[in-house]
Amino acid sequence: MQGLLILSVLLGAVLGKEDFVGHQVLRISAADEAQVQMVKELEDLEHLQLDFWRGPAQPGSPIDVRVPFPSIQAVKVFLEAHGLRYTIMIEDVQSLLDDEQEQMLASRSWARSTNTFNYATYHTLEEIYDFMDLLAAEHPQLVSKLQIGSSYEGRPIYVLKFSTGGNNRPAIWIDTGIHSREWVTQASGVWFAKKITQDYGQDPAFTAILDNMDIFLEIVTNPDGFAFTHSKNRMWRKTRSLTSGSTCIGVDPNRNWDAGFGKAGASSNPCSETYHGKFANSEVEVKSIVDFVKDHRNIKAFISIHSYSQLLLYPFGYKRESPADKDELDQVAKSAVEALTSLYGTKFKYGSIITTIYQASGGTIDWTYNQGIKYSFTFELRDTGRYGFLLPASQIIPTAQETWLALLTIMEHTLNHPY
Amino acid sequence: MQLRRQPLPAPQPGDPYPAAPLLALLLLLALQGAAAAPAGSGEPEDSGWRQDAELPRGLLSQAARAALHFFNFRASSPSALRVLAEVQEGRAWINQKKEYKVDLVFTTELYNPEEGKEHLGKCSARVFFRNEKPRPAINITCTRLIEKKTRQEEDYQLYKYMKQLKNLLDVVSIPDSHGHIDPSLRPIWDLAFLGSSYVMWEKTTQFLHYYMAQLSSVKQWKTNEDAIDFDYTVLLHEFSTQEMIPCHIHLVWYPGKPLKVKYHCQELQTPEEASGTEEASAVAPTELSNF
Repeated sequence: MQGLLILSVLLGAVLGKEDFVGHQVLRISAADEAQVQMVKELEDLEHLQLDFWRGPAQPGSPIDVRVPFPSIQAVKVFLEAHGLRYTIMIEDVQSLLDDEQEQMLASRSWARSTNTFNYATYHTLEEIYDFMDLLAAEHPQLVSKLQIGSSYEGRPIYVLKFSTGGNNRPAIWIDTGIHSREWVTQASGVWFAKKITQDYGQDPAFTAILDNMDIFLEIVTNPDGFAFTHSKNRMWRKTRSLTSGSTCIGVDPNRNWDAGFGKAGASSNPCSETYHGKFANSEVEVKSIVDFVKDHRNIKAFISIHSYSQLLLYPFGYKRESPADKDELDQVAKSAVEALTSLYGTKFKYGSIITTIYQASGGTIDWTYNQGIKYSFTFELRDTGRYGFLLPASQIIPTAQETWLALLTIMEHTLNHPY
Repeated sequence: MQLRRQPLPAPQPGDPYPAAPLLALLLLLALQGAAAAPAGSGEPEDSGWRQDAELPRGLLSQAARAALHFFNFRASSPSALRVLAEVQEGRAWINQKKEYKVDLVFTTELYNPEEGKEHLGKCSARVFFRNEKPRPAINITCTRLIEKKTRQEEDYQLYKYMKQLKNLLDVVSIPDSHGHIDPSLRPIWDLAFLGSSYVMWEKTTQFLHYYMAQLSSVKQWKTNEDAIDFDYTVLLHEFSTQEMIPCHIHLVWYPGKPLKVKYHCQELQTPEEASGTEEASAVAPTELSNF
C-alpha cells in the first residue's frame, strides 16, 4: 500500500515537478467522532496544503496525511492542542522517494543474482560490470575482482581472479572482447565466469585444475570500444584513443603489442581498422595487461578470444618462422578442436596465425609467447560469415559451451605439463 | 591443402545444373586417372602459365569464394543461394604478371539450410585472378542441390510475397545489433545478399574477400512494375583488412530472369564522421592527411 502511495506521489512529483524535501507523513488516530470532525476542519484549511492519503472517515481508522514542511509546525500544534494522537510515518518524504527511485532503476534491467542473469542475450557494459560484482559477492572464497588499469576514456579495466589459495600459483589467462564488435566473445566470457563457479567442486577434472592453478579472466578487454558499439557504432573494432595529426580514432589493440610491431601485417594509417598505433603498448588497454603479466611472472597459458572464423591459432602472426614448440602447440590445438567439435559438430580449423588466417604483426599471443608463455592461443569463435559479428544471441550459449571444452583441454594440458 | 596431379575435366558451358551422375562420373574418372600424368600435360599453351607448387596461403579458398559469388549472381535465385562448405582439391598456375589461374573442386551448403536436412553440393571451377581486369573470370559448374522446378516455385513464392511488402523504407539494420532478423524480413535479406553477390564477385581478389555484414538501409522498394526494384545500402566486411565497406546497391529482379545490378562502394577509409552515424551513399572518398 505504501508503495502505491509513494508511487502516486512520485508520479505527482514527476508531472508537477514538485519536490518533497522536509515533508512529513503523519498518521493520526481519531478516538471518537468529535476528533474525526476536528481533522475534517484541518482538511478545510487550504493554506496548509495538506495531502490526505487516507482521509478522515470514522473513529479507529488511521488518518494518513502528507504535511508540507512550512505547515508542519502549525499542524502539530493543532493536533497536540486538541489531544489528537499521531505518529510520524515518514520523516522526510523526499529521501524516501530518492531511495525508491534508485531501487526501481536497479531492479528493472539488472539481475539480482547470477542465477537470474540472462546468459542468452547480449548485455551492456554496466550489466556486465554488475554481473562481476554479483559473482564475486556470491563466491567470495573463489572469486575476486581486480582493476588492472583504466581505459583511455577512464573506464575501469577489470579482471576476475579465480583462486583456491596458494601464493601466486601458476596461472591461466583468458581474455575476451579485445575487439569490441566481437560480441559473442564478451558474452562467452560472462558464461565462462559463471561456469567456473559452478564446476569447481563438482567436476573432478576442473577441480583439479583450480586446486593447483589460478585463472584470470578479463571479460571486457576494450571497454571504451564496447561502450561505443552500444551507443553509436555496432561495428567498432579498435580502442577509442585520439591520434594526434589525424581525425581518425582508435588503434587496433591486436596490432599494438611488442612483437614484430609495425612490420607487415598491420597498418600505419590511423583510419585503418588494423592501425598499430604510434608505438608498441601505446594503448593503455594493452599496457595494463603487459604490466600485469610482467608483474605476475607465473602465467603458464594465455588465451585471447576473438570472433569470427572458427579457428584455433598459435604463434606466429608476424613471421613465417615456426615457434620452437610448434609440434606440441599443434597437438594441443588438435585435441582442443576435437573436444570443441564433439559437442555440436561445429567445425574448426587450426594452425599458426600466419598460415591459417593472415599475416598480422604486433599481436597479443606473439608477444606472450615471446615472454615465455608457451601455451599461447587465439580463438576465432562462431560463425564463418553468415552472421559474422552479428551472431544471433541464441548462439551465445552453444558457442560458450563448445569453446569451454576446448579451453578445458588447454588448461588440463597446461596443468599436466608444468614448465 | 591436398594437391592432385591429374588435370580436372573442362567445366561444362551453359547449363549450370548438369545431371549430377554425369558430373560425378567425370570427377571420378579424373580422380582415378593415371597417377603418373606429368604436371602440365594437356594444359593450354597461353600466357606462360607455370604451375605454382607453393600456393599462396588461402588462394584456393579465395578462388572458391569468388566462384560462388559469381555462381549465386548468375543463378539469380534468392531461394537457392549457396555458401562454401569445404575446398577439396585444387591447383594453381602463375604467370609472369603474377596473375593466377586456379582449378578447384569444393563443396557447398545452402545459405538458408533447412532444419535437419543437409544439402551438400559439389562444384568444380576455374578462376582467373587478373591484375588489370575488374573482376575474376569464372567458369563454374555445380551439382544440383534443389530440383529446378522446386527452385522456380520457391522463387515465385518469394516474388509474390515481396510484391505485397510495404513500408520498407523504415528498415534499418538487418540483422540488428543482437543478430536478429525478423522472419518477415528474411526474404529482403536474401535478396540483398543476392545483389551483394555481384559486388563481392567483382571485388574478390587473391588477397581480398568479403562477407555481407549488415543491410544498413532500404532507400527504395518498388513493386508496381513487374520486377522488384530494390535500392539499398549494405556493409561489406573485408576480411584481410578487417574494414567495413559501405556499398550502395540497386538491383532489379524478376524470377527466372538474370539479375540486374548497379552499385557504388566507398573505397578508401574515411575520417570518422562527427555524428558517428553510418552513411553509405555514393560519396566521393576523401583523402587522408599525413601518416
